[in-house]
Amino acid sequence: MTDGLMRVVIGGAWRLDDPLPTIAVKGDRVRIESLDLTFFDSSLPAWIFGNFKNVRQLDLSSLPPRLQSLVRMAEKASVNDHLGDAPGVLAQFGSWGVESADSWGRSFNHIGNTFMGFARALVGRAKVNWMDFALQLQTAGVDALPIVALLGFLTGLIMAYVGLIQLRQVGATVYVANLVSLAMTREMGALMTGVIACGRTSTAFASQLGSMNVSQETDALRALGINPIEYLAVPRILAVTLMVPLLATFATFIGVFGGMIVACAGDLSIEQYLTQAVRAITFKSFLVGFIKSIAFGFIAAWAGCYRGSVAKRSALGVGEAATSAAVLGITLIVVSDALFAVIFNLFNL
Amino acid sequence: MSADSADILTCEAMAIGHGNKVIMDRLTFGLAPGKILAVVGPSGCGKSTLMRALGGLDEPLAGTSTLFGINLVTASSKDRAALLRRTGFLFQGSALFSSLTLLENVEMPMREFLQAPKREIRQLAEYKLALVGLADAMDKLPSEISGGMAKRAGIARAIALDPEVIFLDEPNAGLDPMSSGRLDELILRIRESFGTTVVLVSHEVSSILRIADLCVYLDPDVGTMGAYAAPKTFLQAGNHAKAHAFFTQTV
Repeated sequence: MTDGLMRVVIGGAWRLDDPLPTIAVKGDRVRIESLDLTFFDSSLPAWIFGNFKNVRQLDLSSLPPRLQSLVRMAEKASVNDHLGDAPGVLAQFGSWGVESADSWGRSFNHIGNTFMGFARALVGRAKVNWMDFALQLQTAGVDALPIVALLGFLTGLIMAYVGLIQLRQVGATVYVANLVSLAMTREMGALMTGVIACGRTSTAFASQLGSMNVSQETDALRALGINPIEYLAVPRILAVTLMVPLLATFATFIGVFGGMIVACAGDLSIEQYLTQAVRAITFKSFLVGFIKSIAFGFIAAWAGCYRGSVAKRSALGVGEAATSAAVLGITLIVVSDALFAVIFNLFNL
Repeated sequence: MSADSADILTCEAMAIGHGNKVIMDRLTFGLAPGKILAVVGPSGCGKSTLMRALGGLDEPLAGTSTLFGINLVTASSKDRAALLRRTGFLFQGSALFSSLTLLENVEMPMREFLQAPKREIRQLAEYKLALVGLADAMDKLPSEISGGMAKRAGIARAIALDPEVIFLDEPNAGLDPMSSGRLDELILRIRESFGTTVVLVSHEVSSILRIADLCVYLDPDVGTMGAYAAPKTFLQAGNHAKAHAFFTQTV
């Protein structure tokens, strides 16, 4: 180093596969020279660019012209399209607030448009893809029977097992049939089926509609004068809203059967269990569960369609849409279940 | 038209297609190192399929194809993998990994093939992005940048390992004239600085005339190459009628 000028001499062969030397840059004036430089690939200009890009005065004049050109190419003014400055913390917080408000606005808008779509479909003014409706009855409904049966059966079984342990302490094991039947009819049948619909159907809808967003199929529908909500969302939501109550009813009976297996393996006879179960399942309880399952079906399908329709146009966006559809669906189902509990209590149901 | 022993890539009586369906056959030509070859022809004539076959991504249906003197038809999977280290690809939609930043996209092939420590790989990737003018966008996700920037990021990834040959599928597609011009300039600079051989598929006649040394015109009517020459020769009437029509009607 002389007169504040750092002199760097490079030589030998520089290859991508070889380790690069480390260097401590001193001062803001550097001259790089070459001595016996036998070979170099992009590792050498990358090393010079990486270590000396902040040097105020960098003299490369004694380097081979090709090397000079490779370093200068990287130093040239950026030709990026406008990206804007990185936002500060306050700006980020503000953006988050605005985005959240936008998100709520979009979701209400989507719900409104969905109901409008249903209304238009009812009077025959909507272009609905009825082929999709038939397909979804199969995929979201019939194809879900095995998993609904398994989870319904296990839910009834677990409730009966836990109930037996508690009720045995007070000598009231016969009421395990009431516990399982009532819980499955009013609550668990609908809730479990709703959660399954979120896991199976919401995510599928979000992926389908998100992928259609990526490939601009929804734009093409708009360009053809077809409302994507009416064409894509209405048949899906309608199919799931119709199928989830049927699946929930099925899950309820399977759950009661699951409870019977445990109860009859313990203290009860089949006759005792069935008599108690039939007494416990009233029309009111059945109606409560049925109404809930209609709502849960609608929520699960709507969450998938909504998240899919607002998915970002990338593979990552489709994945995020599927995840958020499941989370949104399950959250809304649990929240609405709590609201139903209050409402049904008010109406003595 | 026939291949030369000094050529970096050659094909001899090659047939290409999808499955068993041949879409082009009797393809015979070679390309010398450091040259830029444009593959042109009407839509659906098999330009991208030819490029993939030349690059060793797909096997030709018949004939032979060599890259760096290695026959791609008979090469073992290990040899083919080694060839990929010496080539770079830019796909039509850029094909950047959407969950990775631009820097991570460029680092990915380096991490796969180089034994260098993280710091050096980062330095190399930053340099490659700076080369294509994306120094300020390294931490952006592909969804946050424009189409032109995505193409340049795709090129940065394609040249990550200093390949001897790069294959570019429609690099100018969907770009405005300014961005397209910048991209042409970048391709020329890469060729000049690294001596890279370039094979590109394009419909942009002005771009082809500007950067390509040679041009192969694929003629779907006869199912083979209609012409192989310097692109400027196609502008003269009387030379290769269909290629002439293709060039003059789009200029």
